Amino acid sequence: MADIPAIQTEALVKRYGPRGTTALKGLDLTVSPGEVFGFLGPNGAGKSTTIRILLDLIRPTTGTVRVLGADPRSDPALRSRIGYLAGDFVADARQTGRELLTYLGDLRGGVPARRIDEFAARWDLDLGKRIGSLSKGNRQKIGVLQAFMHEPPLLILDEPTSGLDPFLQQQFVAEVQAAARRGQTVFMSSHVMSEVQQTCDRVGIIRAGTLVAVEHIDDLRKRALRKIEVHFDTDAPVVEAAGLSDVVVDGTVLRGKLAGDADAFVKALARHHVVDLISEEPELEELFFTYYRHEEA
Amino acid sequence: MRVFRKAVRDNRRAWLGWIVALTAVAAMYASFYRSIDNPAMTDALNSFPQALKEAFHLQDYTQPANYFAASVFGLLVPILVAVFAIAAGVKAVAGDEEAGTLDLVLAQPVGRVSLALQRFLAVAAAMVAAAAVMCLVVIALRGPGRFTALPPGRLVAICLQLALFGLLFAALAYGVGAWTGRRAQALAVSAVVAVLGYLADSFFTQINGLKWTERLSPFDWYLGGEPLKHGVQWGHAGLLLGFAVLFVAAGTWRFNRRDLSSS
Repeated sequence: MADIPAIQTEALVKRYGPRGTTALKGLDLTVSPGEVFGFLGPNGAGKSTTIRILLDLIRPTTGTVRVLGADPRSDPALRSRIGYLAGDFVADARQTGRELLTYLGDLRGGVPARRIDEFAARWDLDLGKRIGSLSKGNRQKIGVLQAFMHEPPLLILDEPTSGLDPFLQQQFVAEVQAAARRGQTVFMSSHVMSEVQQTCDRVGIIRAGTLVAVEHIDDLRKRALRKIEVHFDTDAPVVEAAGLSDVVVDGTVLRGKLAGDADAFVKALARHHVVDLISEEPELEELFFTYYRHEEA
Repeated sequence: MRVFRKAVRDNRRAWLGWIVALTAVAAMYASFYRSIDNPAMTDALNSFPQALKEAFHLQDYTQPANYFAASVFGLLVPILVAVFAIAAGVKAVAGDEEAGTLDLVLAQPVGRVSLALQRFLAVAAAMVAAAAVMCLVVIALRGPGRFTALPPGRLVAICLQLALFGLLFAALAYGVGAWTGRRAQALAVSAVVAVLGYLADSFFTQINGLKWTERLSPFDWYLGGEPLKHGVQWGHAGLLLGFAVLFVAAGTWRFNRRDLSSS
């Protein structure tokens, strides 16, 4: 069973209407069971279109989709093994949180009430209130709860933390990490890079309807440019090393960008008196921006 | 049947309100019968122009069947039933889809056809409940309202046709909504059919060239065969039910194939 990909799409094309826009132009995507996969890209790149196809809310124009080995179109029962959360989680406002969760739990074949209560307590959520009376953040918490509550083998999360404050975003990260430890597969689109960095094993970057890159997060981190700043006791010397670029000398201070292995740079510095060395955590965000931009050309 | 139960539960307040209001209107008209069944009123009605009488189906009111066909079951009640049916039918799929709340439900292990049909079934049950409650209340008023000349069987007949009449408009609103996913379109199409149907059954009958339209009106299929006098008109009942089935089938067929609109 472990060999069957959690998600697999082949040459997935989605055109809206006969003369409409083409949202996906042959997407090939494979997500392995048990991994946390980040699905990144600018707005309008086709992230939500892909996710809605996985859930059979919309149908591909051509191409094949397999989710947990099944065809979403012909197998509605498949969706009992999926937890889905949209960033703009909406549900009928007149019901209470508990009414909604009980209904959704029943549709999926039952969820222990204790698990719902524990989750609600952990997220400080009052399930007795009507959904309409809740704040945006609290509504989104209900969305998180309904996606996770049946501990599905596959979580499909579309901008899951929009509307959550930083504290709750962190709590959400913990929830995803716990799911990953239990062996659940997570497929998540996000704009929050800290959340991606903390949870994802791999990321796929989609632009204009095609997947432009799939990378391990560690490889990305290695390749990402670090901003470095070196303070010398005298005027900054000319330093050359592999991976170093954009060097600017300002009196005793040298600033630049460093990619990959830091060894050559450190050894080059060793010949001088270094007062201070500052290296910033690589900003994946910037790396993603370069991906986004490259494809625009 | 979880979707069915949930639909009934979610709409219980609105639907109960409609059923109470409809029944109250019918009961009110029914209890006026005793004050209308007198010679002075008959004279007054006879002095109305013939065309007006035909347009409003005003006939000899000393016959309870005539009075009931024109007032209790003829004026406000079918219009209200049509409005109720259209509102409920539009909400079943299109209203929910436009509000963005259908996504969440269809992300559950529920087939689209099953979901849509269960939702429509709930609306159909509401139509039947409305007609049944109205029927029971009017039958109960036969003694105090002095219209025992009207047999309960005939009242059941007209209420059955009323239920089918409601079902037709619910099916139309549901069908257009399920086909398009657009609330406004479902409302517009259903409202136009209801208004044209009403005109065809009342004012168009005064225009010689348009008389034929009466036979195409759901209002005629409901009341035209005078079920209060002649019992259930099976041909008309068949037309109401047949078109309802057609609309539901077509809407559901398309709903199962198309993309869900995103909010």
